[in-house]
Amino acid sequence: MQEFQRKLFEKGKDSGFGDMEIFYSSNKSTVVNVLDHEVKSYVNTEQGGVSFRGLYNNNMGYSYTEKIDEKSINFLVAEAMGNAEIMEMNDQEELFAGVDHYETLHRYSEAIANVSPQELIDAALTMENTALTASVLVKRVIQCALAKSEGETIIANTKGLNCHSKYTNLSAGIYLMASDGKQTATGGEYDFTLKDFSKLNFKEIAEIAAKEAVAKLDADSIQTGNYPIIFRYDTATQLVRSFSTNLSGEVVEKGFSRLQGKLGEKIAGDNVTIIDDPLMEDIPGAAVFDAEGYPTRRNELVKEGKLLRFMHNRKTGKKAGTESTGNAGKSGYSAPVSVGPHNLYLQPGAASLAEIIESTDNGIFIVELQGANAGINAVSGDFSLYGIGFLIENGKLGRPINQITVAGNLYEILNNIEAIANDLHIKDTVSSPSIKVKSLTVSGK
Amino acid sequence: MLSQKTIEKVLNAAIETGGDFAEIFVEDKTSSSLTMIGGILEKAVSGRDFGVGIRIFKGYFSVYAYTNDDSEENLIKVARSAAGAITGQKQDSIMGLRKSAMRNAHEIKTMPDSVSKKQRINWMRRAHEAARGYDPVVTQTNIAFSDYVQNVLIANTEGIFVEDIRSRNRLAISAMATSGSQKETGFVGPGYFGGLEYMEELDIEAYAREAARSAKIILSASFAPSGKFPVIIDNGFGGVLFHEACGHGLEATSVAYKNSIFADRLGKMVASPLVTAYDDGTMPNTWGSLNLDDEGMATQKNLLIENGILKGYLIDKLGSRRMEMVPTGSGRRESYRYAPTSRMNNTYIATGKSTPEEIIASIEFGVFAKYMGGGSVNPATGDYNFNVREGYVIRQGKIAEAIKGATLIGNGMDTLQKIDMVGNNLKHEIGMCGSSSGTIPVTVGQPMLRVSELTVGGRKEE
Repeated sequence: MQEFQRKLFEKGKDSGFGDMEIFYSSNKSTVVNVLDHEVKSYVNTEQGGVSFRGLYNNNMGYSYTEKIDEKSINFLVAEAMGNAEIMEMNDQEELFAGVDHYETLHRYSEAIANVSPQELIDAALTMENTALTASVLVKRVIQCALAKSEGETIIANTKGLNCHSKYTNLSAGIYLMASDGKQTATGGEYDFTLKDFSKLNFKEIAEIAAKEAVAKLDADSIQTGNYPIIFRYDTATQLVRSFSTNLSGEVVEKGFSRLQGKLGEKIAGDNVTIIDDPLMEDIPGAAVFDAEGYPTRRNELVKEGKLLRFMHNRKTGKKAGTESTGNAGKSGYSAPVSVGPHNLYLQPGAASLAEIIESTDNGIFIVELQGANAGINAVSGDFSLYGIGFLIENGKLGRPINQITVAGNLYEILNNIEAIANDLHIKDTVSSPSIKVKSLTVSGK
Repeated sequence: MLSQKTIEKVLNAAIETGGDFAEIFVEDKTSSSLTMIGGILEKAVSGRDFGVGIRIFKGYFSVYAYTNDDSEENLIKVARSAAGAITGQKQDSIMGLRKSAMRNAHEIKTMPDSVSKKQRINWMRRAHEAARGYDPVVTQTNIAFSDYVQNVLIANTEGIFVEDIRSRNRLAISAMATSGSQKETGFVGPGYFGGLEYMEELDIEAYAREAARSAKIILSASFAPSGKFPVIIDNGFGGVLFHEACGHGLEATSVAYKNSIFADRLGKMVASPLVTAYDDGTMPNTWGSLNLDDEGMATQKNLLIENGILKGYLIDKLGSRRMEMVPTGSGRRESYRYAPTSRMNNTYIATGKSTPEEIIASIEFGVFAKYMGGGSVNPATGDYNFNVREGYVIRQGKIAEAIKGATLIGNGMDTLQKIDMVGNNLKHEIGMCGSSSGTIPVTVGQPMLRVSELTVGGRKEE
């Protein structure tokens, strides 16, 4: 890679480029899927690619390739030049020279890298078997997979930046179907580890999925009306994820966020604090530098309902008259640098989910939301989603409910959260504990 | 892209341990994407995706591996390593692949690399200006233009050895209308399977004004009613109803494993007798079409439902083994990073007899869904949802006030049986469909339909 980088920068310089940067990432993964006590499929992947950007006539030009050979050097330079020539922004984008000190996080584990395919298969078979024997109502396991991956990222430029990171990840997921002869329901569960294979409890993962599918059986819709709603942590996460796009400095700058011009103002209830913290161990979004090589840090975005700051990369930070928050994102080498969260979460409260349910006279406990790809309008905040859940009567969970929609507005919800649970599960780049909302419209019968 | 000799060596290495089928998929794709926000070109990225996928079957068991390194040495190594997941004896070797000539049924007149970036930007700027000029309420636009040329080579141990060139381009226009702190967007996104001749002939201004018109209407719209009502779904993108409520449930990916409500239902009544539906991968130069699917089989016009009776499924190679039925030219994948599986191409409900006027006049109180967003489905339960971006209330047989942001939900087979009027105005619209083999271009289509009752997820009690 170093040789490729040297030749690429040389060619770029000869062609009239000023500062230049490469972003290289590579990944290897193994995925096993089991079905009916046998391995159903086995996937082995290896990929790597390089993205190039450089200043040409004061404009930043981008290009990428997955074919890393001599010929690609000419291709990368020519494409980036063509893209720089047509840019119409006078942003004066600058590359970052790096800092002397970055935090340290352990994201790579030799032990995970060395987990054998057989260990993955055995764990998947254990999960499937546990699920199939958990209840006679569990009829089929639809998906039961173990996945292991490792990879590295290099960002280096002509200003001296030289960042390198390596990671490993191992995850287990199961998705299954239960049926009582009249109705079918599905349940799923997923967990991961960055370091310790023994941390994963495969039986428990399967049991949670089986229990969920069985509990959803014999569901019926409910009378249309307004109900207090408790969103379980996973469904609450879907709402927070959608809302979080409005905290991107890039979205704000383009005029697509209703939070534009609201810095320092109250935008949510006193109980709402939203943090992005990449510097935690054992989380998927852990990172000590972002996609521009800028050092990351813990950022409070919303504190006790007050909007403190937006997430920024160097370009959007400069435009907003502030600095990067270390939130430059890049979804792989083919994507341009954007802005995104590393590990954004709604700060948990004190009560347990069980206590919140107990304190609810009547309402609906939502455990699944479908259609978030289209049913949430992140700009206006309006949402209408297919929901599955359980009736809450006198503080107790009752019958399952399906064929309903739950509709409301994300901005209004943030001002109407009655309780936030203490059950934050960080499994992705955005997370939320369970939340209780005063009242939302439910369409059913 | 790879020599015949290399391919034969790789395929032979793949079946060394007893695999009964092996396939190689080589992809070399160059793409460009441009983003213009508020009339200023802000992002331009172009690049090259290149990789090789190798797949091996033994019975129902499948192994998939991919790599970016196409040297013969590495490909044989990757094939051997994949074959290591199979234990058995080599059956027989394959030799003498014969490359088949293919007739391109989807002409590419203007190759993307023959058109300058400046020309692309001109098209985008026209869209921006038309949307912005539609009404002062339109405060922002986001115009994206993307195009690609994907070269593929597909060969397998059954003797298939083919190459194809696929080119697509799309202009995506978002217009945002603002009133106070309220913001709403309207969207249109025409696209084409072929060359950039499409853009030369496209009425860009008309599309841009339509996005702006929709944004303005949505801004003035009130919330949809909440509850169960008769619903009319407009032609075109309304086909997302069939795509979600039925199409995914007919894919071998679910049917072969009996994870679909439509499994074991061939020859049975699954929809109203008014419903006849196809998936046709051969429609000329249409967004979801292909000469050959990603397993090297020619696409075809597949009858799915005829007068309400289930006639066929969408079947890929692996699914065909479990189902003991022939593949239907439906094996698709986003890229070499995915093993192919059964997917839709251009799915639609065939045209019926009712006029749109008759259908609208038939409803006392209900909802008219004009523009849909996306949707999703759980094939195992049949529960589906799709979102209405722009809709209207119908009162006494007439279209009344505009409504926004409602999700419609139902259960696949139940909804298909409740289709009680089918219009005579079939139209196709393009979209992207995400599933286990990645995100791929598809079209959805239908004439205007009436569903006697659907749950409308609004926020207002009527």
